[in-house]
Amino acid sequence: MSFTRFLLRRAFQGIFVVWAVVTIMFGLRALSPGDPVNLIAGQVPDQSTRDQIRQDLGLDQPMYVQYVEYLGELLQGSLGYSYNQQRSVNDIVAQHFAATVELAVAATIVAIVIAIPLGVVSATRRNQPADYGATLGSLVGISTPNFWLGLMLILLLAEAAGLFPTSGRGVALHDGVLTLITTGHAGELLTWFSHIILPAITLGTYFTALITRLTRSGMIDELGKPYVTVTEAKGLPSVLIRYKHVLRNTLIPIVTVLGLQLGTLLGGAVITEEVFNWPGLGRMFIESLRNGDWPVVQGIVLFIAIAFIVINILVDALYARLDPRVIDK
Amino acid sequence: MQGADNASADRRTVLKLTGVAGATATLGSLAGCLGEGEDGNGDEIDLDSLTITQGEFPDVEDPNDHITGPYFNVYDHVYEPLFEVTPGEEPSPGVVTEWDHTGDGSVELEIRDDVVFHQGQQLVAEDIAFTLDRQIDPDVPPVSDQVAGLGSLEGAEAIDETTLELSYSGAPQLAEFEFGNYLRAVSQEWFESDAPVSDGVISGDDADAFNGTGPFQVVDYDPAQNRIVMEPFEDYWGEVPELEEVTFEGETSDSGRVSSLLADETNLIDNVLPDDVGEVESDPDSAIEQVTSFRNIFLAMKNEVEPFDSQEFRQAMNYAVDNEDIIDGVLSGFGHPMSQPTPPGVNGYNPDLEPYEQDLDEAERLVEDAGYTEDDPAEITLTAPEGRYLNDADIGRRAADQIDQLPNVDCEVDIVPFDVVSDANSAGPDDEEIPFFLIGWGVITGDADYGMFGFFHDDGGVQSFRDDELQSELEATQVEEDPDTREAMLQEVNEMAREKAPWVFLHQQESIYGIDEALEWEPREDESVFVWEIS
Repeated sequence: MSFTRFLLRRAFQGIFVVWAVVTIMFGLRALSPGDPVNLIAGQVPDQSTRDQIRQDLGLDQPMYVQYVEYLGELLQGSLGYSYNQQRSVNDIVAQHFAATVELAVAATIVAIVIAIPLGVVSATRRNQPADYGATLGSLVGISTPNFWLGLMLILLLAEAAGLFPTSGRGVALHDGVLTLITTGHAGELLTWFSHIILPAITLGTYFTALITRLTRSGMIDELGKPYVTVTEAKGLPSVLIRYKHVLRNTLIPIVTVLGLQLGTLLGGAVITEEVFNWPGLGRMFIESLRNGDWPVVQGIVLFIAIAFIVINILVDALYARLDPRVIDK
Repeated sequence: MQGADNASADRRTVLKLTGVAGATATLGSLAGCLGEGEDGNGDEIDLDSLTITQGEFPDVEDPNDHITGPYFNVYDHVYEPLFEVTPGEEPSPGVVTEWDHTGDGSVELEIRDDVVFHQGQQLVAEDIAFTLDRQIDPDVPPVSDQVAGLGSLEGAEAIDETTLELSYSGAPQLAEFEFGNYLRAVSQEWFESDAPVSDGVISGDDADAFNGTGPFQVVDYDPAQNRIVMEPFEDYWGEVPELEEVTFEGETSDSGRVSSLLADETNLIDNVLPDDVGEVESDPDSAIEQVTSFRNIFLAMKNEVEPFDSQEFRQAMNYAVDNEDIIDGVLSGFGHPMSQPTPPGVNGYNPDLEPYEQDLDEAERLVEDAGYTEDDPAEITLTAPEGRYLNDADIGRRAADQIDQLPNVDCEVDIVPFDVVSDANSAGPDDEEIPFFLIGWGVITGDADYGMFGFFHDDGGVQSFRDDELQSELEATQVEEDPDTREAMLQEVNEMAREKAPWVFLHQQESIYGIDEALEWEPREDESVFVWEIS
C-alpha cells in the first residue's frame, strides 16, 4: 500500500469517526430533557409564541429532518447557533480555544521542565534517596485529584499568601504580546503570566508524574545498552553521556506521549478551567451543559473530536514515514 | 393610576422639584462617599474603582434579550431604566419626567430632551418605541423573554421627539409596574447604522457593542473572560459619577467568588452559600450583607393529576412540611417562611396571612379525607433541581422526608437537572410525568400579578394550577383601575390561593452577599445591584 493510500484510508476512517460523534451527540441531545424554547423565551410567554418559536427554529420537524438539516449545516462549516448566547457556535469555539491552548501548552511546559530532570536524576541514582523521593513524588502527583490541588493552591498561594490571583486569565496572551510589541510595556504579559501559573501547575502535575516515570524507565533501559558502556570507556563525562546521548534516545517515546497528551489536554482541562475560572473550552462546555445550550455542547465535543482525529492522523503519518512497515500492517 | 396624580405624587413632586431625579440623587451620594475608605485593619483602600463579581454573567450583548437579575445588574448601568424603581413601590421619574394616563388604555410619557447615547445619538421617543417592539413583538428579534415582564403592554408610538404614547390592556397600575421596571432605550439610529448586529440581535465582542444612555459607558469588554469595564459617561444627563471605574466579572464557582473577595480582588460578590458565610465573616476586611428577596421557593402541585386534584391532599402537604426546620437545618437560617404566593414588600401581599405550621396529625387526617389510607397510601415523587437555587436538592430531600413521615403517603424524591423541572413547569396542569416539583420564582416587577398570573391562569405559559374561581379573580385585578381597590383584590387572591394550596409554600430565599468591609450598601429585595447605591 502506498503512503498516499494509507493516508486516504486514515482520512476516511477519520470522517467515519466524526460522523459517529455527530450522530451520537445528536442522539443524546434528542434523548436529553430540556426544551430549547424555554432557553430562548424564558418560561412565561403564551403557548402561541412558544409554538411560533418552535416552528421558526424547525424544532417542530421530525427528528430525522432536524438531523439531516444539522448535517447539512456542518458540511457548510457551521457548528450551529447558540440559543442562549445568540451567536454562532463557531464564534464561541474560536473565542475560547486560544485560552485552552495557552493552558495546555503551559501545563506541558511545566511537566517537561520538572519531569525530565527529575526522571534523569531518579534513573541515575537508582535506589538512592533521590530516586525514592522522585518515585514517591510521582505517585503523589498521579494520585492527587486536580480539583483538590487547584483549590489548595488557591487557598494557600493566592488567598493566604497573596502571591497569585485566585482565578481568571487577566488578559489574553496575544493581547499581552501585542502590547509588549507596540508599546514596550510588559505589564499585561506579566498579568497573564501571574494568572496562568497556578492552573498550569494544577493541570501539569499529573503529567509531570507520568513523564517522570516514563523518563526514569526509559533512561534505565538506555543506560544498560552497550553504547553507554562504550562512551563511558571512551572517558566521556557522565553528565554528557546522560543528557546528550542517553536522554536524547529516551526522548522519542516521551515526545510521542507528550504530543498525544497535548490532545488530551485540549479537551480534558474541564476541571482545572472550572476551578480557576479559566475562560477556555472546558469551562464553556460546563456552562453550556448547565444551561442546556446543546448546540454549544455539540459544537465543542465535535471540535475536540476533530482535533483528536487530526492529531492521530498526523501521528500515524509520522510513524508511517519513520517506519514504512506500519503501512503494510 | 393617573400619571403623577396618585398617592405617590408627593415623592415624585419632591424629586421633580429638586430638578435632578432618581439616579442623579443617589449618584450624588456615591460621588460623595467613594474615593476613600479603610479596611478592617485600618489600612486605606482604593475605592476609585469598584469590582463586582457575580455567579452569573450576561452571555449576550443585546440589552433586550434576557430577564435575569444578574443580566440587569450589569446592563442597567449602561442602558438605564427610564424610571427610578424602588422595590414594591410605583416608579418615580428618571429619563421619563412625567406621565399621564389618558383613560382609554394608553399613557403619555414625557421624556427629557437632554439625554444622549454613549455613541453620540440624541434620545428621542421613537427610540423607546423601537426598543419596546424589540422586547414584546415575537416577530422582531431578539426573541425576548423580557416580554414576560411587559405582558400588558401592547405597543408604543412616538407623538413627537419627547412624547411617547404607550398602549396597554388591563389596569394602569399593572402597566406602570411593568413599564417602570422594564422600559429601556436602544438607539434606533445606531442599531440601523453602526451597531454590530447579527440576525437582528446586537452581538459583538468589544466595547462598541454597547450604546446606552446610562451613567456608565463600557470601555472594555471581554466576553471570554466574563468581564466588562465601565467608566463614567461625561455627557450623562444627570450628575456624572466620580467613581473612575466599575468592573463586573463573572465567576461561576461559589468558592471562587469567596476566594476573590478574601484575596481583595473584588469588592462585592453575590450568592454566598450559607456554609461560606462564617469564612467571610471571620475575615476582618469583609462582611456579609443579606436581605429576604422577592424569590419564592415552593413545591408546585398540578391539580389535574391525582392525588393533587384534591384540595385536602394539597393542604395536607403544606401541614406535613416544616418550613422552619428546612430554613434552620438546610439554609442555616437564611430564609423566610412563605405564607402566600406573594412575598412581603410586593404590591398585593396580604399581611394577615400566616404560614402553614407543621401538624402531622392534621396532615394525616386530610390525606385520609382525600381517600388514602395506611393500607392504600398515596404514592408520590417530588422532583427537585440541583444547583439552581440555594441548596435546592437538599431542600427537596428534606421536604420529601417530612412528607414521607405520614403513614398514608409514600413520598420519594428525584433530583434532576433544572431543565427537567423547567420543562415540567411549562407542561401544563394535566401533565402526569412530573406533577410535583420544586421551583423558584422571583416577583421582580414588585406586583403580585407577576407572581401568580403565569402559574394560575390559562394564558400564563407556566400554568400548573387550573381553578376557575382563582382565574376569574386574577382577571378582575388586571382591569381594576383604582390602585387601592386593586391592591385589596390582590390580597384576597392571595388568601384564596393560600386556602386552595396550589403549592407547598416553603420560603422566600435570602440573598446573601459578601462585601468589602469598607463599603456601605443595603441589598435590595429585587436582587438588583446598583453601583450608585453603594457608598
